[in-house]
Amino acid sequence: MIQKILYNFKKYKFLLQQLVSRDFKVKYKRSVLGILWSLLYPILMMAVLAIVFTNVFKFSTPGVNYLVYLIIGLVIFNYFSEASNLAMSSIVSNFSLINKVYMPKYVFPLSKCLFVGINFLLTLIPLYVVIIVSGTELNIYHLLLPYVFICLFMFTLGMGLLLATISVFLRDMFYIYGIIQTMWLYLTPVMYDISMIPENFQTLFKLNPLYQFINFARSIILYKNIPTIGQWAGCGVSAVVVLIFGIYIFRKKQDKFIYYV
Amino acid sequence: MEKYAITVDDLHISYKGLKKMSIRSTFFNKKNKEKVDIIKAVNGVSLKIEKGKILGIIGKNGSGKSTMLRAIAGIFSPDKGSINLYGNSISLLSIGVGFNKKLTGRENIYLSGLLLGFTEDEIRKKEKQIIDFADIGKFIYKPVRMYSTGMHSKLAFAITAILETDIMLIDEVLSVGDIQFRKKSYNKMKELISAEHRTVIIVSHSTENLKELCDEVLWLHNGKIKMIGKPEEVLKKYEEFMGN
Repeated sequence: MIQKILYNFKKYKFLLQQLVSRDFKVKYKRSVLGILWSLLYPILMMAVLAIVFTNVFKFSTPGVNYLVYLIIGLVIFNYFSEASNLAMSSIVSNFSLINKVYMPKYVFPLSKCLFVGINFLLTLIPLYVVIIVSGTELNIYHLLLPYVFICLFMFTLGMGLLLATISVFLRDMFYIYGIIQTMWLYLTPVMYDISMIPENFQTLFKLNPLYQFINFARSIILYKNIPTIGQWAGCGVSAVVVLIFGIYIFRKKQDKFIYYV
Repeated sequence: MEKYAITVDDLHISYKGLKKMSIRSTFFNKKNKEKVDIIKAVNGVSLKIEKGKILGIIGKNGSGKSTMLRAIAGIFSPDKGSINLYGNSISLLSIGVGFNKKLTGRENIYLSGLLLGFTEDEIRKKEKQIIDFADIGKFIYKPVRMYSTGMHSKLAFAITAILETDIMLIDEVLSVGDIQFRKKSYNKMKELISAEHRTVIIVSHSTENLKELCDEVLWLHNGKIKMIGKPEEVLKKYEEFMGN
C-alpha cells in the first residue's frame, strides 16, 4: 500500500511540478509586473486593511503591535481561503482532462494547494519586513513556525479535497462556500482579539482550527512564548483529522466524478 | 511473455441518469424520486486480445463503443467485471489533451505528455522528434493562442503520435491539417498501428478503414457483443444489418 503510494508519487511528481509552474506562468503572463505581483499584491492589500483598521476603526491590541497582529492573521487566513477555493473548483474546471486521460484526480487539488503555498511563502517577506520595521524583536522560537505552516497546509488540503468532492455533485457549493468563508473570516479572531468575545463563547471560538494556527504563530512572533502543549496538539490534531477525513471522502467518491462533471 | 495484452471479463458500465436536481423536483415531485434513470452502456462484454493484434470495434451510435474504450483506458471504473492490461502502458489517443493557450508549443508538449502519463525523460527524448513531425517552424516557441487551427492540430497530433505506448486506443482514425499533413498523419497512424509489438483497438464507423487495418472486428450492439471474428465476415453482416 505504502509502496504503491510512493510509486505513484514518484510517477506524478513531475506532473505536479508542471501543473504548479503552469499556474504560475499563466497567472502572470501578459502582466507588466509579472511575478512581482506575488509580492506587491499582498503588500497593497495589507496596507489597505491596516489603514482601515488602525485609523478608521481604531482597533488595537494591548502590549503588542496591532499591525503585526493583524497581518499574521490575514496571511494565514488568506492562504486558507485562496487555496481552498481553487482546490474546490480544480476538479470541475479540469473536467476536459479527466474525461480524456487517466490520472490520479487528487493531483488537481494538491497542485492548487502547493501553488498558493508558494505564494504564501512569498508573502512571508512583507510580513517579516513589517515585523522588523514595527520594532517587534525576533527570537529563536521563529524556527518553530514551519510546524504551523505544515499543519495549515494539511488542513487546507483536507478541506480542499472535501470541497472539491462536494462541488462535483452539488454546484451550488461554489456560492454557499463564498458565504461560509465570509462568515468564517469574521468568526476567526483575525482582526480582533479573542478577549473581546464574551467569555462563555471563547471556548467555541477556540475550536476553530484556523484560530489555532493563527494563535500559534502569534504566540511565537508577538508574545515570544513557546506554544503550550495544548497549542501544539490543537494544530496537529485538527490538521490530521481534517486531512484524513478529506482523503477518505475524496477516495470514496472519485470514481463517480466522471458521471457528474 | 504473456500471450494476451488485454482481457476484459464480464464488463458492465451504466450511467446513472443525471437527473436534474432542483428544489422543485426534490420537494414537489416525490413520485419521480424512485425512478432512477439507468442507462446500461456496456452490458456484460468479455473479450481477450492477443499481443500485437489490431481489433476494430463497430456499432451504431450509442452502442457503447466509446464507453468501453474509455473504461479500458481507466477513465471509467466499471460497475462490475474486470479489465486486465498485464502491466502494459496504455493511451487513449485524444488530441490536444491539456493544451493551455497561454503557454508556448514547447511547454505544451511537456504538459500534454505528462498528462498522457509519460515521464519527463521519455518526453525529453522524444521532444525533437515531435517538433520535427509537427513541422510548424518557429511557432513552436510562441504561445499556442497564436496558432492557426491547422497548426494547433498538427502539434497535437504529433504529440500523441510520437509518444507511443504498448496499447493504443483510437476513437476514430484521425487525420488532420492540410492535404500534405493529412497524408503524413494517416501514414504515421498506419505505421503506429501496424508496429508488431503494439496492440491496438480502433473504434470507427468507416468499414473501409477497419477492413484495411484490423485483424479482427467486434460488433457491439446495445452494449453487448453481437459478433466477433474476421473483418470481412463481420463487416459484411454489419453492412447488411445497417442497410435494413
